[in-house]
Amino acid sequence: MAYDLKLALFKPLIKLAMERSGHGAALGFDLRVVERGEVSMTFPYNEAVIGNPVTGVVHGGVIVSLLDTCCGCAAITSMLRPTVTPTMDLRLDYMHPAEPGQPIYLSAKVYRNTSNVIFCRGSAWQDDKENPIAHCVATFMKIDSEGFSFANIVRRRFKRLISGAKAQESDQ
Amino acid sequence: MSDANRATLEAVNAVIESARKDASPQQILDFIPYSSFIGAQAKMDGDQVLYWLEKRASNIGNPSLPAIHGGVIGGFLELSAAIEILYTLDVGTVPKVVDFSLDYLRPGRYKTIYASCTVLRQGKKLVNVTASAWQDSPDKLIATARCHFLVS
Repeated sequence: MAYDLKLALFKPLIKLAMERSGHGAALGFDLRVVERGEVSMTFPYNEAVIGNPVTGVVHGGVIVSLLDTCCGCAAITSMLRPTVTPTMDLRLDYMHPAEPGQPIYLSAKVYRNTSNVIFCRGSAWQDDKENPIAHCVATFMKIDSEGFSFANIVRRRFKRLISGAKAQESDQ
Repeated sequence: MSDANRATLEAVNAVIESARKDASPQQILDFIPYSSFIGAQAKMDGDQVLYWLEKRASNIGNPSLPAIHGGVIGGFLELSAAIEILYTLDVGTVPKVVDFSLDYLRPGRYKTIYASCTVLRQGKKLVNVTASAWQDSPDKLIATARCHFLVS
């Protein structure tokens, strides 16, 4: 297979954006595999996200966050250009509770990429990939707009700043 | 029932009893570490429970908008649905989530998210709950969720 330069360039950006900012940083996961339309990650056991304090089982909501992130990453890698891919819907089936104290492995794959919608499926497991904790299907909108490029966001912010300053001047 | 389940049930029942006595669903949230991780809170609003999630940097998903992480909204709604069952129904067990389906309607802006839940059906084995989330006004929903919990 030919060397995928675009993917190689995007990979560190995606890793940085997902692992180091906001909720991704709070959860603390590791993106292991980033391929086009295919992402795997590992989530080490984290006591802050326990749902049942007696058994120590992590809360189902964490699995929602992780699978949403994992599927979202897969959606972005299937585009590899400045786009936003908001989630339209996400459906999760829980097979069995996670074993406390053990890492959770997750993977997601885009199985259909149309002009407007990206279809993705993902699963979460611990010991055995064939015996998952949960699996999910998610659909993402494709908003392939120039308005969402980094340069345009900075430009808009700057304009807003200037018009705000002008409005203040006229008030005085 | 395993020992762990029985121990959970005893601990949860004590918390629920106290929460109902004080009309404070927040006490159940305080019992669950995940709720303080995302910052979920609850109070009585008339005869309904109102859940809310104040904005915090660790819940951001898209820093450029900025928008709340979709997974946080999902986790918050699932948590709210479970608390709704524990606080309002007498199920005699800790509800286990079976499936969870979430529709995103609008981006979650970087401000407080409110949620309310409705139990659509309580059966012997399953409970069906819907949860809706909004920010500016309850008729402008940002997400709706529907989940099944096993209660037997």
